Amino acid sequence: MGKMHGWAGKILKVDLTTRRIETEDTAKYVPQYVGGKGIATRIAWEELKPGTGPYDAENILMFFNGPFTGTLAPTSGRGVVCGVSARTYPTPWFTYGTMGGDWAAELKFAGFDGVIVKGISERPAYLWVNDGKAQIKDADRLWGLDTFCTQRMLKAAHGEQSQVLCIGPAGENLVRWASIQHKLSNAIGDAGLGAVMGAKKLKAIAILGTGGVKIARPAGFIRACMEITDLISSGPTVTPVRDSRGRPPGPNTLPCSFGCPMGCGKMFKNIPAGIEVGSGTRNMMAHCEDGVFISGDNKTNYPPKDIAKDYKGDMYTRETKGFGDKIGTEIQALCEGLGISSAFNLNLYPWFWQCIENGVTELNSYKLEPDNPRFWYDLVKKIAYREGIGDIFAEDLIRASDKLNLPDILKKAACFQFPLWGQPDHRLGRAYESQPSPIWIHTSLHWAIDSRDPMASHHQSSFVSMWFPLHHEGKAGSPDVDFNKLMATYAKTFGTAAGMEPGFENIDDKTKLTVWLDNRAQIKDSLLLCDWCFPRILRGFNSKEELKAAEDYCGDIDAEAKMLSPLTGLKITSADLGKAGDRIRNLDRALHIRNYDRSRELDSSGEWVCEYPEKSDGTKWDKSLFNKILDSYYNNRGWDKKTGRPTRAKLEELGLKDVADKLASIGKLP
Amino acid sequence: MAKLPKEITLEVPKSGVIIHNPTLCRGCGICELACSAYHKGECSSFLSRIHINAEDLDLDFPAVVCAQCNSPSCYFACPLKDSALCIDNETGARYINEDECTGCGECAEACPLPNPAIWQTSNGEFFKCDLCKGRKGGPICIEVCPRNALTFVARGK
Repeated sequence: MGKMHGWAGKILKVDLTTRRIETEDTAKYVPQYVGGKGIATRIAWEELKPGTGPYDAENILMFFNGPFTGTLAPTSGRGVVCGVSARTYPTPWFTYGTMGGDWAAELKFAGFDGVIVKGISERPAYLWVNDGKAQIKDADRLWGLDTFCTQRMLKAAHGEQSQVLCIGPAGENLVRWASIQHKLSNAIGDAGLGAVMGAKKLKAIAILGTGGVKIARPAGFIRACMEITDLISSGPTVTPVRDSRGRPPGPNTLPCSFGCPMGCGKMFKNIPAGIEVGSGTRNMMAHCEDGVFISGDNKTNYPPKDIAKDYKGDMYTRETKGFGDKIGTEIQALCEGLGISSAFNLNLYPWFWQCIENGVTELNSYKLEPDNPRFWYDLVKKIAYREGIGDIFAEDLIRASDKLNLPDILKKAACFQFPLWGQPDHRLGRAYESQPSPIWIHTSLHWAIDSRDPMASHHQSSFVSMWFPLHHEGKAGSPDVDFNKLMATYAKTFGTAAGMEPGFENIDDKTKLTVWLDNRAQIKDSLLLCDWCFPRILRGFNSKEELKAAEDYCGDIDAEAKMLSPLTGLKITSADLGKAGDRIRNLDRALHIRNYDRSRELDSSGEWVCEYPEKSDGTKWDKSLFNKILDSYYNNRGWDKKTGRPTRAKLEELGLKDVADKLASIGKLP
Repeated sequence: MAKLPKEITLEVPKSGVIIHNPTLCRGCGICELACSAYHKGECSSFLSRIHINAEDLDLDFPAVVCAQCNSPSCYFACPLKDSALCIDNETGARYINEDECTGCGECAEACPLPNPAIWQTSNGEFFKCDLCKGRKGGPICIEVCPRNALTFVARGK
């Protein structure tokens, strides 16, 4: 096959045990698996054996970019990391995380679509990837260093323009939810794959590439990218009217990724010391929840008084406290340097307060002082080095609450904070932000079938909540959005608006939309593009007047295909992308069925959370309604209702006959 | 004092120039990607005629961009001036005509910038900013920059 366009064409395979380095052709996997998460899931299906634990040599850790990475396609600088994570609950399993920064593009420029790492190195090592070649190098001197120092040392050795992914002490010490860090605050956080790097004794990957991404039809590609940049110029779909994230972004903002025209990150430069000098940097980027130590968060305020009566006394209201620019950025920098996700206090802060109000003021003789920044300073370090109470919280709240001798109400509260898969509540409309119906119905179905917090799929569902004028009583959402126009937009785009109508009518239309959203999320993590900006169901507006004057809010759901075709030279439509997303989702499902006995029962295990009312409109389901909705969702997915397993017909329709055969041979095909 | 060669005393038409503002720049690299895609049909920082040398951990974003010098050393140094290193009639851009360039590298050697703004591909071809010669709408980097960190100052302004 000739030189590929869009894809680099090679995948790097590294075995740290045997120190063997090989390459494989990408052509085997594309276009059917697109790139990124799609290819990684296929490789996991082929190579990840049932019973493989996160710290086993057989666990494969995969770092991928996608066909858009390193190109002019707006927001395309992201990368994805996949492998068996120690964090997921009830059992470690295969999952994924995406992150911004520059490493994914640098990897493409170095000639690779991905790096697959197997085995365990005898001594601390790092991987040096440079222009089609790779070397396993000694990292004895880097082991123990924070992520900023590690990056500076490797940039000193390989050039300022080299890009470094690394773990901090938390990953080395196998903190289950340790992150993989890059630049100031780009991270694989929720997926918790830092400990897998630690177990492999892989401190870092340093990359430098001098190549480029070939374009099949440059003029057409440039034109498409510029048009779509213009389309998204009002910023992420978070709000209908442009804020400082849009073009031009505000002065104190940063894009999180290479090739991104947005400014979603808040920039802190040369911040004076807060508590202690020595967090490794005086600069920081706070993106979303990672900035919670700085600005706090009122979305943890739950539930409002009129709905609180249904929370049976085990939940209450507490805003997460922020500590301001100086101290907040310092604690965030400490987290990023040690290699743990700084968003963790979103869940721990209210939970600690709940402990105190229930008379538990100490945990294993460790005094809880959630309003004192020094408490967090100390706790963060204890967690990263697994000292004292930190050793317990290094297991994450959900496992920690199993270990600690606690009253039932606090155990229940921990489950409420971490409702599924050992992941903090996000976009479920209960412990964290509000999600009026039908948005929480979509998001909880994404949660039900995913392997982690389904960020990519629920972001595109849930940002609509900011557009919902009727359900927020002026507290959130946009009073300037006309609900009828919003519904007209869905009707134009999907043929019916029923999928976005509040309440529980037309369940089948709703779950059809859930399937569409989830399939496109798979594509988003495979291309890769920003989950705040794509797919562009809604377009943003530059002013309230423009918003009011608009006939509808239609964006362009063909945007991805319009850029991908001229880039790759292949004729790829939105329907093709949707089908590829379906393929990736079904393959992921098959992998989880084969390796972890994923079942309807497991999918239903977080349903109880939504028996509590949603915090803004009070809607909820009971078991029988949930089962009706899940039946409909499975049906629209082509999955067997009883077991939640894909049917042979569905798998064969997606070109996954080999997968159907394998599942049949182990008795796991319905 | 040795007499300067006659042509060096010749007046060279002034050029427009791209100005980079490092306080507005955030190192997204979109200028590099658009530049290389437009000129070479490939997205690559290394094929770009403008380089953002981002220092990610320090949040500093200096750039290397051709100053289109009033007295262009690259032009004077070129043994095939006006056929290899040329002056664009329209914008005044000092540009390399890749069909005529022999790859001697004298221009890059002569560039007075601390980081020379003339580069070489892996095949040995030299390239530099030509202000997107002939492109309707002017330099593409300026059009795509999301933060207005790049501005074009036309000649004589």
